[in-house]
Amino acid sequence: MNALIKTLTSFFVLLFAFNANAVDLEVNSPGVNAIKQSMQARHAQLAPHYASGAVGISADGMVALRDAGAVPLAQRQAVNALVAAENQDRNALYAEIANANGHPEWQAEIRSTFAQRWVQRAQPGWWVQQGGSWSRK
Amino acid sequence: MIFSAWLNASMLLLAFLFLPAQTNAATLSLSVGDIVAPDMSMRGIVLGLDDSGAADLTIAALQLQQRTFKNLKLHCVEFAASTAELHCRQGRSPQFPGTAFDFDYRFDRGEWQVLLTLTAAAAQPYAQWLPQDMPLPNHGKLDGTVRVAGAKNGLSIIKADVRASELGFSDQAGLHAAENMRASLRLDAQNGRDGWQWNAMLDWRSGDLFWQPLFLRGGLVLNGTGRISDTEFRVDHLSAETAQIGKVELAGVWQRQRGEFSEYSVRGKQIGLEQLFADFVRPYLDKSALAETSLSGRADVESYYRDGALRSLQLTLHDAGIVDKQNRFALQGMNTRINWQPENATAALIHFQGGKLLGAEFGASQFELKMQGSAFDANLIPLSLLDGKLDVRDFHLHQEQGNWHWSFAAALGGISMERFSQALGWPAMHGKLAARIPRVTYDGSEIKVDGALMFNVFDGTVIASQLRMADPFGRAPKLSGNLDMHELDLDLLTRTFSFGNMQGRIDVVVKDLQLQDWQPVRFDASLFSSAGNYPKKISQKAVQNISSLGGAGAAAAIQRSYLRFFENFGYDRIGWRCVMRNNVCNMSGVDAGNSSGAYAIIKGGGIPAINVMGYNHSVSWKELVTRLKRVTQNNVKAVVN
Repeated sequence: MNALIKTLTSFFVLLFAFNANAVDLEVNSPGVNAIKQSMQARHAQLAPHYASGAVGISADGMVALRDAGAVPLAQRQAVNALVAAENQDRNALYAEIANANGHPEWQAEIRSTFAQRWVQRAQPGWWVQQGGSWSRK
Repeated sequence: MIFSAWLNASMLLLAFLFLPAQTNAATLSLSVGDIVAPDMSMRGIVLGLDDSGAADLTIAALQLQQRTFKNLKLHCVEFAASTAELHCRQGRSPQFPGTAFDFDYRFDRGEWQVLLTLTAAAAQPYAQWLPQDMPLPNHGKLDGTVRVAGAKNGLSIIKADVRASELGFSDQAGLHAAENMRASLRLDAQNGRDGWQWNAMLDWRSGDLFWQPLFLRGGLVLNGTGRISDTEFRVDHLSAETAQIGKVELAGVWQRQRGEFSEYSVRGKQIGLEQLFADFVRPYLDKSALAETSLSGRADVESYYRDGALRSLQLTLHDAGIVDKQNRFALQGMNTRINWQPENATAALIHFQGGKLLGAEFGASQFELKMQGSAFDANLIPLSLLDGKLDVRDFHLHQEQGNWHWSFAAALGGISMERFSQALGWPAMHGKLAARIPRVTYDGSEIKVDGALMFNVFDGTVIASQLRMADPFGRAPKLSGNLDMHELDLDLLTRTFSFGNMQGRIDVVVKDLQLQDWQPVRFDASLFSSAGNYPKKISQKAVQNISSLGGAGAAAAIQRSYLRFFENFGYDRIGWRCVMRNNVCNMSGVDAGNSSGAYAIIKGGGIPAINVMGYNHSVSWKELVTRLKRVTQNNVKAVVN
């Protein structure tokens, strides 16, 4: 019951926020810029691992090491660290966008909107998680 | 378990040997019915015996603990069965190339033994006999022997002397895996009343291992003894030795049900800190400020942990060092002897040869560290920083709800700005740097400066107050505070930034300054001439530069007038204000401006006098910074009039 109320509340908050055009997902702040730059710099290193299926786009707006076996053993530690750093940045990005919008409490909704966006924007061949299971786009 | 089940089945099998069967001149073939026992079943058993004493055993399906193995075949060069015993010598199975099986069973005592003799035996087939949730062999060869023995009450002895080459293994997720391993293992384990007593030696010579998050290369020897019971895994003694780290002696008790150590001890002499930290510590620090550091030097360590807490720690550092890869800090040549106990107050003298703080070098020094439980204090840490000194006072470090909190006060004095600015990669500044930092605290999330931080620069003072830094170790730290600068010498200032010479003094007030990732987000800044009598002069070059900040057109104007004949001008007042919001600087000057909207940035006075007017009331902060950079960069050779 609580989960239902929570979900409905989140839905209405999001609906209201978006209808009112209040959430600016492209909001610009030095914090958002710094995080985006850091993520862009890392993307070139992560891209081959998305393509190989070693790293996938998870349903919670994060990335996950879903098949470490696809990475040569000597690189597994580095890929593991890349995934950890990317997730640290993604968490910071959602918090920062919420803060820059003046609504820190919108972080969860922003995260779920981004989660859908990452999945939609994933390139063909990348692995994405939807409804708890992984599939190749 | 597998073997005992197999042997129980063998007993039943024997009963069938004397049943009527199909025969020919050379062989006796027995087709045996299904054998079903708890946790085990065999279906489609065929035993073929020939007159040379050899035997072929085929099992169509062997089911062991919910796993099924199909079409198992074993050829025994010598097979014998009597009412007293059963044995198979030099057994070979096509499923296990390179492995010879010797197998004995005594019916009277229920004792059994299996000996595997491995000769370049493929490791991969053994994967199917191992629990599927552990890393399973997928490559490599094995040589040596494995002896497993038991009796009616189960397995009692495991002895192995095995050498592996090109061994690879992995779990399903690939998070615990090895490649190209060359290693030898000697294991002697016996099951007694108190569980299994074990004694093992592993010599891992080469190859790679990834055991998330650790990545290790061969060159490790483990040697240990211990005991395993239903409740605990006990290591009475384990030595781990590598060429670069040295030898570490360990002992401990792992509680199997709780999944934690109830106690352990670690002891080592002359341990190589660089490799120890890089291989075993740093992989766990990916989110902290120490994740980009490396250690050097050696240490002697002896520590004891029991029931959730460290009980003692003796640590001796031999020329130890720590370096931050981003060049934020470094400490070298550290020597000390620390004897820490949780209940008693102790102290240690810490010497060091020198280091770096934000690029600025400091020399050798020493301080006394007082320790009481998880609280650490130092009354004074004197550092000879560049050509002056930094005294850190009342340093206090303690742990609170899992987070480390720290605080200190500091005084900085006698440092020349030339050396300081050079160390930080700033433009060469003049003057002396002196500062008093009343108290800095970190509460696990925010760095806060109590009181005012005072610097003496450009022959004036800079006071920073209400400084706060949130998320200091995050991707985009946020800094807020106020700045008050009094009577800065314009001559020194303009020389430093190659702006064209100005003489006089200014005050700068920056209120409500907010920086994120070191970029300004908002502030209210005003710059104006200091009160008092002093020479006020501005060079033509400086006038041009100030004018050009307002746009290209204004800068050219002076060149068209008679003013170009004068090198210097007098002025009465300077005033400029910028209120920065949403990346736009809203500007005003000495006064509110005239009816046409122009405002004076410099109000002339004396002969020859000049007024510098501003016409734009708002400019993008980015654009303003670009213009300022262009002005200062175009004047790399300072124009000192």
